[in-house]
Amino acid sequence: MNAPQKAKDLAPLPYRILDDEEKVRKAVAIIREKAAESRMFKLAMECCTKCGACINACHSYLGTEDPYNIPTKRADLVRSVYKQEIMPLSGVLGKVAGGIGVSAELLEKWFTYFYQCNQCRRCALVCPFGIDTAEVSIMVRQILAELGMVPRFTVGIVKNMANTGNNMGIAKPALLDSCEFLEEEMYEETGIKIRIPVDEEADIMYVPSSADFFVNTNTMIGVAKMYHAAGIKWTIPSEIIEAANFGLFFDEKVMKEHNRRLLDCAKKLKAKKIVQGECGHGWRAARMYTDGLNGPVDVEIRHIHEEAAYFIARGIIKVDPEKNGDIVYTYHDPCNLARAGDIIEEPRFILRHVVKNFVEMTPNREENFCCGAGSGLLMEEIMETRMKLGKVKAEQVKKTGADYVVAPCSICKAQLPLVFEYYNLPVEMSGLMDLVGKAIIL
Amino acid sequence: MPQIEIDGLVLNVDEDGFIEDPTIWNEEIAKALAKTEGVTELTEDHWKVVNYIRNYYLQYQIAPMIRKLCKDTGFSLKEIYELFPSGPAKGACKIAGLPKPTGCV
Repeated sequence: MNAPQKAKDLAPLPYRILDDEEKVRKAVAIIREKAAESRMFKLAMECCTKCGACINACHSYLGTEDPYNIPTKRADLVRSVYKQEIMPLSGVLGKVAGGIGVSAELLEKWFTYFYQCNQCRRCALVCPFGIDTAEVSIMVRQILAELGMVPRFTVGIVKNMANTGNNMGIAKPALLDSCEFLEEEMYEETGIKIRIPVDEEADIMYVPSSADFFVNTNTMIGVAKMYHAAGIKWTIPSEIIEAANFGLFFDEKVMKEHNRRLLDCAKKLKAKKIVQGECGHGWRAARMYTDGLNGPVDVEIRHIHEEAAYFIARGIIKVDPEKNGDIVYTYHDPCNLARAGDIIEEPRFILRHVVKNFVEMTPNREENFCCGAGSGLLMEEIMETRMKLGKVKAEQVKKTGADYVVAPCSICKAQLPLVFEYYNLPVEMSGLMDLVGKAIIL
Repeated sequence: MPQIEIDGLVLNVDEDGFIEDPTIWNEEIAKALAKTEGVTELTEDHWKVVNYIRNYYLQYQIAPMIRKLCKDTGFSLKEIYELFPSGPAKGACKIAGLPKPTGCV
């Protein structure tokens, strides 16, 4: 068992750390509430027939070989409580029907195993009843948060987001310095003055990942070159240079607050369109939950790959695949693009135009396996688990024989190089806009 | 709060071994932290990177972009990894007394 370290101080989350007795009492109360209000939860708790379809669909189980990481078995950690507390015959049948009460020990088990689920939704894809165990995982992490059980790493990110509007904690002066530096880099390379406009009124508000201003700088450069070539006025909002919305993984209030910030910035900058950068789950949060949680939304929400595919298809930008060389590229579908956001064919269309050799990995598209860090499992202290969660991905990449993996999600970008090193795969990796930036004819 | 003791120097650190209070940083602390990151001796090249990161942090309260760090110090990323085996974000930033870079990195 390898669990993330728990935060000792939850601020700015509106929760407090509870003692064991309080935790148990509150857990039961929340489960009763959820059972009353959520049809999804009832369905997940009551309909599973243990058919076993999810067992080998789950990279977490395949990589860790821990039975509690079988999606239905993981859900059983909660289902047993549900049966005890909610099902009509629970008082009579109890353990016979698989029901057990909540204990502090069980809650620790929840914390361990629901933080070994990447919320990738591959189990949902194969479940004949449509049970989405990722949703169960999201719900259980929400319960854990309300019991004061949140990873230290996650609280650190929420804190940075509250203070600066991004996960890394980049304040505006640093952002401006970084943009200026990247503009100089582009000028040195191309001889053209390509801008990265910050906080200017524009039709398009582009939301990068803050990691693009630390490690994935070529992703940002690719986007800047693209809008320059397309001749479109765009801007990035200093108050939210973060496509990632960690609230999706564990807390609805955090997700909603992020969305509010997003919409407020769009309004302030008079944007007609919010374009989300290369982030998997952030796309799901922005596209699927902004309207529902914060709506109605009167601004269009698009993904950068939709923009790039459109520009290429219409001839608005020109690209030369020669510029990305003879090497063989493969594409890793971020879970939340392929199984939760319908960004599947756009990246492939772009790739076929910007590189010469592209091979699919197997399986792919909505059947693709997670990188092993999805749902924000980027904590250093669970590195051993992370490498196990990345095992299936490493095997998939190895079978392609490709030299280069394109992975347009910052979580994947943080996880995959470590996985490749761990499994001795000599492959390179970057985002997709990076390659657009290299292939573009200016 | 965890503490570490290196050569008689006791430091309050976070769970990742980064100093809890970045303002107390000095060269002695850097030398002590270096030992926790597999750097036995801080050479002139090490100091060039450490001081660059430190000064950037003092000005901007964040680590510089890796690309900028490489360009401004003249070291390639490979060379930085040779100097700091655990890399710029973990090793070099820790020795320079920064908080651990967090987010999707």
